[in-house]
Amino acid sequence: MTFVPSGYYNPDKPMEGRITDIGPRYYADFLPPVIKKNKGKWLYHEILEPGVLMHKAESGDEVYTVRCGSPRLLSVETIREICDIADKHCDGYVRFTTRNNIEFMVDSKDKLEALKEDLTSRKHPGGSYKFPIGGTGAGLTNIVHTQGWIHCHTPATDASATVKVVMDELFEEFQKMELPAKLRISMACCLNMCGAVHCSDIAILGYHRKPPIIDHEWLDNLCEIPLAVAACPTGAIRPTKTKITTESGEEKEVKTVAIKQERCMFCGNCYTMCPSLPLADKEGDGLVIMAGGKISNRISQPKFSKVVVAFIPNEPPRWPTLAKVMRKLVETYAKHARKYERFGDWAERIGWERFFELCELEFTHHLIDDFRDPAYYTWRQTTQFKF
Amino acid sequence: MDKEAAKQAIVDFINSKSKSKSKFYFNDFTKVLPDMKTREVKKLLTQLINEGVLEFWSSGSTTMYGLAGAGKQHATEGEE
Amino acid sequence: MPKHETPMVDQLESGPWPSFVSEIKRQSEARHQKAKEMEEAGKPYQIPVDVCDDLLGVLEMSFKDGTTHWKHGGIVGVFGYGGGVIGRYCDQPEMFPGVAHFHTMRVNQPAGKYYTTEYLRQICDLWDFRGSGLTNMHGSTGDIVLLGTRTEQLEEIFGTLTHEMDQDLGGSGSNLRTPACCLGESRCEFACYDTQELCYQLTMEYQDELHRPAFPYKFKFKFDGCPNGCVASIARSDMSFIGTWRDEIRIDQEAVAAYIGGELKPNAGAHASRDWGPFDIQKEVIDLCPSQCMRLEDGKLIIDNKECVRCMHCINTMPRALRIGNDRGLSILVGAKAPILDGAQMGSLLVPFIKAEPPYDEIKEIIENIWDWWMEEGKNRERLGELIKRQGFQKLLEVTGIKPVPQHVQEPRHNPYIFWKEEEVPGGWQRDIKEFRKLHQR
Repeated sequence: MTFVPSGYYNPDKPMEGRITDIGPRYYADFLPPVIKKNKGKWLYHEILEPGVLMHKAESGDEVYTVRCGSPRLLSVETIREICDIADKHCDGYVRFTTRNNIEFMVDSKDKLEALKEDLTSRKHPGGSYKFPIGGTGAGLTNIVHTQGWIHCHTPATDASATVKVVMDELFEEFQKMELPAKLRISMACCLNMCGAVHCSDIAILGYHRKPPIIDHEWLDNLCEIPLAVAACPTGAIRPTKTKITTESGEEKEVKTVAIKQERCMFCGNCYTMCPSLPLADKEGDGLVIMAGGKISNRISQPKFSKVVVAFIPNEPPRWPTLAKVMRKLVETYAKHARKYERFGDWAERIGWERFFELCELEFTHHLIDDFRDPAYYTWRQTTQFKF
Repeated sequence: MDKEAAKQAIVDFINSKSKSKSKFYFNDFTKVLPDMKTREVKKLLTQLINEGVLEFWSSGSTTMYGLAGAGKQHATEGEE
Repeated sequence: MPKHETPMVDQLESGPWPSFVSEIKRQSEARHQKAKEMEEAGKPYQIPVDVCDDLLGVLEMSFKDGTTHWKHGGIVGVFGYGGGVIGRYCDQPEMFPGVAHFHTMRVNQPAGKYYTTEYLRQICDLWDFRGSGLTNMHGSTGDIVLLGTRTEQLEEIFGTLTHEMDQDLGGSGSNLRTPACCLGESRCEFACYDTQELCYQLTMEYQDELHRPAFPYKFKFKFDGCPNGCVASIARSDMSFIGTWRDEIRIDQEAVAAYIGGELKPNAGAHASRDWGPFDIQKEVIDLCPSQCMRLEDGKLIIDNKECVRCMHCINTMPRALRIGNDRGLSILVGAKAPILDGAQMGSLLVPFIKAEPPYDEIKEIIENIWDWWMEEGKNRERLGELIKRQGFQKLLEVTGIKPVPQHVQEPRHNPYIFWKEEEVPGGWQRDIKEFRKLHQR
């Protein structure tokens, strides 16, 4: 590998010629002409079929949008293919949604069929669609997710794989609009939730169940103990000394940390600060399923998701238990909820006791909140309940 | 306190703690310079960064400051 | 012949949903194919040609042993910046040298995530040359995520982005994270303000806060054009800007009649794949209104707008008949965060209504007052929402100079333990025991 400098950086004079604080590109330079012209003057929209939207402007202009799923993890090869499609059909413009869908827009209806056909015809050699059309209206849209085993140092599961498995399992819901309301599934691979999944109709969450292992022999060499101590959100880590026998058989006393294990919430923050405190574990790690949250203010107020399954083991590569539970949840919701009822609205109307019965989920003591003050408000302070 | 003295106070503070740790939160420096507004403290830290005296360290979610090149983890990342 | 056997990972290539494994393999193949061509063009790959093969190998290993093989690295950004790069190292560098360093760069996305292909191709060329060729479009916060490069490439990539593409990095760490918005007025009739413009202007105004972390912890702005909340600002941003209006919903009675008569498809067709029976405006709209402020009179829809809480249901259901009001602006909610540590928090309403018009001075004043308070009082790693909980909502009102109104609460307090301040009580707290004793024996 020959290092090719960009010519913009001189390590001896890093501030020389440096451009900083210029921010993102101005969005208006990237708007398709029909969008730019009618911005702020849209009249209404229609979903013509799953994945295809028409927006009508006051000017009479129309823009047709075809929404496609994506795995979020995209190669530049595929992004170039997206560009080719956008150049061919959409005058060189394309858009991504908050939930990692791709949107191709055309300014007249007669351009629509060719675009749809082109998108649907493209498949990976392994057989999966590159650009499945869907994700609109009362259906399932793409799952937002985090990095998992692809890139993160504290995940309790893989993100891309679990999402792929669930989207394969529920694919028909992505391409249809037959659910009572929209269904938002989100995935975060540890409890830090960089994906903020805590207000989703259904959240898939990676969870560790074992406190970190302490690498006493190396800890003081690799880590700054005060930082590891300060990293613990529950104050479970303290500095200490311990006698060890080293790999070479030598007995010695080393500076290290002690962990109050019953206080560990398995967040991995200490591992971030100190690589001598790994916590990932094959049997320990797995998934939590939370359900019934929402963001939208439509009809009912936004609400948090609740834990409905305390643990599902990691079963790579295709997580069959996860897929089964997800299908059951979605099918039960689809069958029993009323039109417009979001997942959580439905569970609240029928009562969570009925929810567990219908979804055939076991209720265990793990599902009763015991974490600090808010716990009390989740217990039942009424004689109203169902048998 | 003039700027240079304040910058020196920051570096002295870091050196005084170097036995136990090499990375500090922004808050630690506002305590070193209690009479200075937080925005002013930040400007000094930015200057020290741009001069290559200090550098940032991040856990991904939190960011800390330390002397350039100092710290145990730095050495173990095999970047030098 | 693949570099590593990956029988488990390979099973994720089947099934209809776009396969991320196929994406990685696609990039791997392209890298091997084009290596010579790149070399000849004077642009030899700057990180190992088999980076994607090794990534698949690491993933296969994780599938086998059920654990991650990444370590965190403290490297944060480019010179002078305290964010924008996430450092990663593989814990099996001998087995997978291609991904021994595998740092991520966050690139600040354009507001609303519209792109020209010309721009995207520039990103692709740069990332092909100096990185793994793998991306996330986009990361959870909103950035374009460039996934996997080596340390010595970071400055070169940054230099190319800023000099050739007029493009800056995004945020990470204890700073203002890359702000994000819904597509707003660009293609949505529900948008109550220009989310893209406000997002862009605040991003530019606060570049220093974005690149040079001096906050107690992360801080997020998100901009939703209406209460439907498509970017989930209310759940995941320290300051959430949600469009709203304070006058009347605009009604087209002819279109209402057309919905009732079945000529117009309800819900803009959102429920079309299932037969829910004919549209029933009473059952599907009027009875579901959370504030019960609608009724039908002689075939006309009457809305008592003063009682409307702007939940959007009627507008979502009959978008051709009902439109958002004309006196538009936004609500500001503060303090949302994911559960860690003390439980999840939703944003709490701070400003019921504010106009969103350039140069947005009033909005900036609120932001800066909040930052001054949080930077002064916030503990390390304390999100704004937690500070508000610790010091009280009253304190937040005090530092922002906002007058308390009933809109601030779901309901008034449950206990009478009001911590009255001395200046609030007539005569103050300094009392004379002698005066007291004139009326009361010892």
